[in-house]
Amino acid sequence: MAKVVVLGAGVSGHTCASFLKKKLGKHHEVVVVTPNSYYQWIPSNIWVGVGQMSIDEVRFELKKVYDRWGIVFKQARALEIHPEGDASTGKGYVTIEYTAGDNSGVRENVEYDYLVNATGPKLNFEATEGLGPDKNSYSVCTYSHAAHAWEHLQENIKKMQAGQKQRFLIGTGHAMATCQGAAFEYILNIAHEISKRGLSKMAQITWISNEYEVGDFGMGGAFIKRGGYITPTKVFTESILAEYGINWIRRAGVYKVEDGKAYYETLDGEDKVQEFDFAMLIPSFSGVGMTAFDREGNDITDTLFAPNKFMKVDADYAQKPFEEWSADDWPSTYQNPTYNNIYAVGIAFAPPHAISKPMTSVTGRPIFPTPPRTGMPSGVMGKITALNIAERIHGATEHRHKASMSRMGAACIVSGGFGSFDGLGASMTVFPVVPDWDKYPEWGRDMKYSVGEAGLAGHWLKVLLHYLFFHKAKGYPFWWLIPE
Amino acid sequence: MGKYRIKAYFDEAYPPVPEKSTLFWRKFVPWQLIRFIILNVKMIRIVVGGHS
Ligand SMILES: Cc1cc2nc3c(=O)[nH]c(=O)nc-3n(C[C@H](O)[C@H](O)[C@H](O)COP(=O)(O)OP(=O)(O)OC[C@H]3O[C@@H](n4cnc5c(N)ncnc54)[C@H](O)[C@@H]3O)c2cc1C
Repeated sequence: MAKVVVLGAGVSGHTCASFLKKKLGKHHEVVVVTPNSYYQWIPSNIWVGVGQMSIDEVRFELKKVYDRWGIVFKQARALEIHPEGDASTGKGYVTIEYTAGDNSGVRENVEYDYLVNATGPKLNFEATEGLGPDKNSYSVCTYSHAAHAWEHLQENIKKMQAGQKQRFLIGTGHAMATCQGAAFEYILNIAHEISKRGLSKMAQITWISNEYEVGDFGMGGAFIKRGGYITPTKVFTESILAEYGINWIRRAGVYKVEDGKAYYETLDGEDKVQEFDFAMLIPSFSGVGMTAFDREGNDITDTLFAPNKFMKVDADYAQKPFEEWSADDWPSTYQNPTYNNIYAVGIAFAPPHAISKPMTSVTGRPIFPTPPRTGMPSGVMGKITALNIAERIHGATEHRHKASMSRMGAACIVSGGFGSFDGLGASMTVFPVVPDWDKYPEWGRDMKYSVGEAGLAGHWLKVLLHYLFFHKAKGYPFWWLIPE
Repeated sequence: MGKYRIKAYFDEAYPPVPEKSTLFWRKFVPWQLIRFIILNVKMIRIVVGGHS
């Protein structure tokens, strides 16, 4: 009997565990270690953040689903990986610490034959002074952050109703933060909620971002076919912001947030301040900070993890100038190069390099978005890793299933408002996420599948995805037929 | 929405803003149903084509 341990039950970990169990059945053990008792569908947090959904509409209890599937659930946080075991065991194990119940705080060593690290990002608020929901800005990165943001947003709405002008600042709260898509969606939803209440004149809404141009989204922007032209996403995105009466600040590296003030440096080296009454600023991401030890107890964290604490996989991590980066640098099996029974999927793997061109201000501060880590590729990585591990357990020696971000597309469906007939979606699909200039020398991507359009269709799609993914994640009938 | 900033020399003055007819087609349900189907097909092809 083989034992596969999956760390994390987000988009990639939950998908991976569900396919592992489906393929391995009762004859092998699948264990999921995750600190939260709930699965959350993170994209819908945006709607929690504007009061259109409750917390319970975007989450469900994992244990019930895992009990039904026969997956062992440990509500705990993984702390250390011991890939070679130690003096008492030759088998790899993970040290975990329970986060709930009677054994909260208790540590345990969980042995594995295969380990999948799907721990997602650490929301690194500390990297920006004064940033975060416990300090001077809000976040929508978790359902509780989003609910907290909505609580306070209502106060700003009340003030506007009482005739007081309010300034809203939404975007990235660190010079190298990513996840612009989520912030973009939130700003459109805020603008929609304000306009719905007839308060547009009372609001000054500002987008702030580390992108060189708006619409970069951490993937160096994209081109789309629109109105008889090939148009950059800069134009598409600016057009939507202008339509919603939102102004924007780009090339901005926020480095400090105080009550009502965001301090930032521009690429030109100018030091500026933007005042606000409500700010939602995305933090930078890092790996969750697990450590690793060899059989003798020596620290080998640097062997398993990159300096940003994300796990090394089958990518080309050689340092190269921007012009020499290639699509083939990106990983496709997510296997750790040192320990071949360890994999890292979703946000947990270390990308080989940025996709947006790295830029540094005249004072030396890097100001550019790191690669976006969207849900669709995360789910696909989880699935193919599950299939490869299941096949290895059944005797395969090769990885038959591959998925690289330079061969995979991403769909960014941004809702702007919630109504079925007055909501609006800005839908963007790009293929592949990482441009491949050898295969698509003209535009870096396949123009057939790189689309950008606004309309109700996108909004419906976003709502449909919410329900489809819940159906899939809860393991309801024929869940495996729903694509990642 | 609908109140565009058109002051020259500001970033906000240069992007295209939608005309009335564009806004109409964006909310015209029969046309959006067709776009919905097209978007779904594109997305499914992206997902299926992205891994082996
Ligand atoms: C507000 C918002 C909106 C978004 N909207 C979209 C969208 O519209 N479309 C899209 O494609 N993507 C979207 N994304 C991105 C998408 O949510 C991520 O790509 C996806 O969640 C990544 O999946 P993951 O499994 O790698 O990480 P996560 O989903 O973050 O899961 C990580 C898991 O690991 C667990 N964990 C953390 N630390 C440990 C530890 N030490 N030990 C064990 N477990 C641990 C966590 O509790 C969690 O269960 C959005 C993101 C945000 C923040």
